[in-house]
Amino acid sequence: MSDETVFIVDDDASICEGLSNLLDSVGIRTECFSSAEAFWETWNDSRAGCLLLDARLPGASGVELQEHLNTSAIGIPIIFMTAHGDVPMVRKVMKAGAIEFLTKPFQKQELLHAVAQAFEKDRSRRHEQSIVGAINKRIGTLSDREKEVMSMVTAGLLNKQIAAELNLSEITVKIHRRRVMDGMQAGSVAELVKMCERAKFPSRSTSA
Amino acid sequence: MTTNTFDQFSRRAMEYGVQPFSIATSFVLVALLWTFPLQHIIAYPFVFLFFGAVMGSAWFGGVVAGFIAVVQSSFIITYFFIPPLYSITVAKESQSFLAAFILCAIAISIVSSTRKRAENAVRAARDELEAKVRERTAELERSNLEIQESERQLRALTEAIPQQIWRADAAGRIEYCNQHLRNYVGQQGSSLEGESFFNVLHPEDTLIFRQGWESALVASGPFEVKVRVRGADDAYRWFLVRSIPQQAEDGTIARWYGIHIDIEEQHRAQQSLVIAQDDLSRLSRTLSMAEMAASIAHELNQPLTAVVTHAYACREWLGSNPVNFEKASATAEKIVQESTRASAVVKRVRALFRKEATEKHIVDVNVLVQELARLLRDESIRRGVAVRMMLNPNLPRIEADPVQIQQVLLNLAMNAMDAMSTVAGTKELIIHSEKYGTDEIAITIEDNGPGIVPEITTRIFEPFFSTKEQGTGMGLAICRSIVEAHDGRIWAENREPIGARFKFTLGMGA
Repeated sequence: MSDETVFIVDDDASICEGLSNLLDSVGIRTECFSSAEAFWETWNDSRAGCLLLDARLPGASGVELQEHLNTSAIGIPIIFMTAHGDVPMVRKVMKAGAIEFLTKPFQKQELLHAVAQAFEKDRSRRHEQSIVGAINKRIGTLSDREKEVMSMVTAGLLNKQIAAELNLSEITVKIHRRRVMDGMQAGSVAELVKMCERAKFPSRSTSA
Repeated sequence: MTTNTFDQFSRRAMEYGVQPFSIATSFVLVALLWTFPLQHIIAYPFVFLFFGAVMGSAWFGGVVAGFIAVVQSSFIITYFFIPPLYSITVAKESQSFLAAFILCAIAISIVSSTRKRAENAVRAARDELEAKVRERTAELERSNLEIQESERQLRALTEAIPQQIWRADAAGRIEYCNQHLRNYVGQQGSSLEGESFFNVLHPEDTLIFRQGWESALVASGPFEVKVRVRGADDAYRWFLVRSIPQQAEDGTIARWYGIHIDIEEQHRAQQSLVIAQDDLSRLSRTLSMAEMAASIAHELNQPLTAVVTHAYACREWLGSNPVNFEKASATAEKIVQESTRASAVVKRVRALFRKEATEKHIVDVNVLVQELARLLRDESIRRGVAVRMMLNPNLPRIEADPVQIQQVLLNLAMNAMDAMSTVAGTKELIIHSEKYGTDEIAITIEDNGPGIVPEITTRIFEPFFSTKEQGTGMGLAICRSIVEAHDGRIWAENREPIGARFKFTLGMGA
């Protein structure tokens, strides 16, 4: 398996130990943190894996850590665990994107299933991230004028319209368009549109 | 200066010259005019009127006028009446007569003027005295008026103060009540003086008032009590009665001053506060039970979770190929540790619920009951429960933990009052104390509530058994464990015709 790691955050050392022992026994790497703050200071988004988080922690609670990660646009998958989860709390963290909410003590299968799910989500998240990163890299190679043309092309404007809009000759627009397609390594306009959508590159709506 | 001297001189001249001279001359002339006609009737030589003139002159004109009169009279007598007549020569045989006359006249003049002076002095002294007396009388009248005025103001103040004020003699008999107090008690107020003050107190408060008042009389100290006083409209209001003694110079109590402060509003507010607090504490009690349960669950869950995860891991290590004995063994060790931790939590929880070690002293159970009744006073009044104590005064003292015994008493008393909450009529809580058998004393708490369903009379002492909606089911269980720690027993039975009776015994030889 890759270097995917389960980051366990629980203030109870024996719980951390038990969980890491169990995960270790099935060949999953673990790292333990005794508080949300300790995790936040040590961890960075380049680390693949998932978070196994106690909902109640001294200092910032698990729920608060989740909020913090969400506002920082860090999408590491989170598995919550608690000794006594109340319904509103469960609803809240699940809505905020948690993979699973485990009530202590939990079955091995529950945990491993949740971890597998979380890893899968993290993988696709990272894959998506790398694709978007590549697209953004390509966008970075374009000139400002080319970006402008691209946003109009993805908006569905014809060369003639673009030329009128930008006060250019149709020939010049065609040249820019060619460069955009090359730079973005897009085989078709449809592909270009998809790329821009993924990278959330805004397409320019037709000016009236 | 000169005019001044002249004035003085002329005044002197008037005083010692002109005035005495004219007085003397007038008297002597009158004597002479009367002597002429009279000398023919009365025997020769007739000179007595001149003694009168000298006397009068000395009296009215002083010693100077007297002497002038003596000189004038001597010449006149010599000239007119002593032979040879109409000459100032004196015949030899008349010389002794003249000398006698002059000496007598001088003597009369001196006596008369001295008498006059003495009389004048007496008169002056009298006048001075009179003036002084008048002055003092005026002064006295003035200060009298002032005293009256200040007394009037003081009285107006005591009457105007919006509080009820009274004054009592050293024995505590009321002598004076201000208008507010008289108005408040109304018609009954006419007989407020003396002992009858107790008549306007609420019957339930008479005892506490009397006790407080009597101990204040004995201690000669200030006195304060909250009691209900019946007003003119027959309604009772709560008053804070405060009294302080005024000491005479010899240190004994001269009188008492008292004030009644109407605290009905505060009392009502306090009552509603107490009710609110009561609800609150009941709520917090159930809340804290829930919280405690959650905390215990959490405490237990942590090691159990660790045990479960380690156990899973252990199975994995044992199931792996090749078998990882090292890891499996270490994991098994962890399981032992965590299980031990879980059992420590259980022990701790049990210790939490176990009663604390008892602290026994030699106590008088009756005193404990009385203290409790005092504690319960507000609560019982609020609930309209009359508390009656029937205490055997000859109880032996026993060794017991006073706090725990009161806890039992409080619990039973509160239960009894709770039980009577639905009773419409008289609510009565009776506490007995008595000797029980040879080596025990027993305390009984009776109520006239609905009683106990017979099937549960034994179960009610079990932990977590409660018939109350909000009950924890711990109260009577704790009572039983306390009583048993005092070598006693506790049981419950129904009373005839109605009500419940809780009885517990305490060992004397503990």
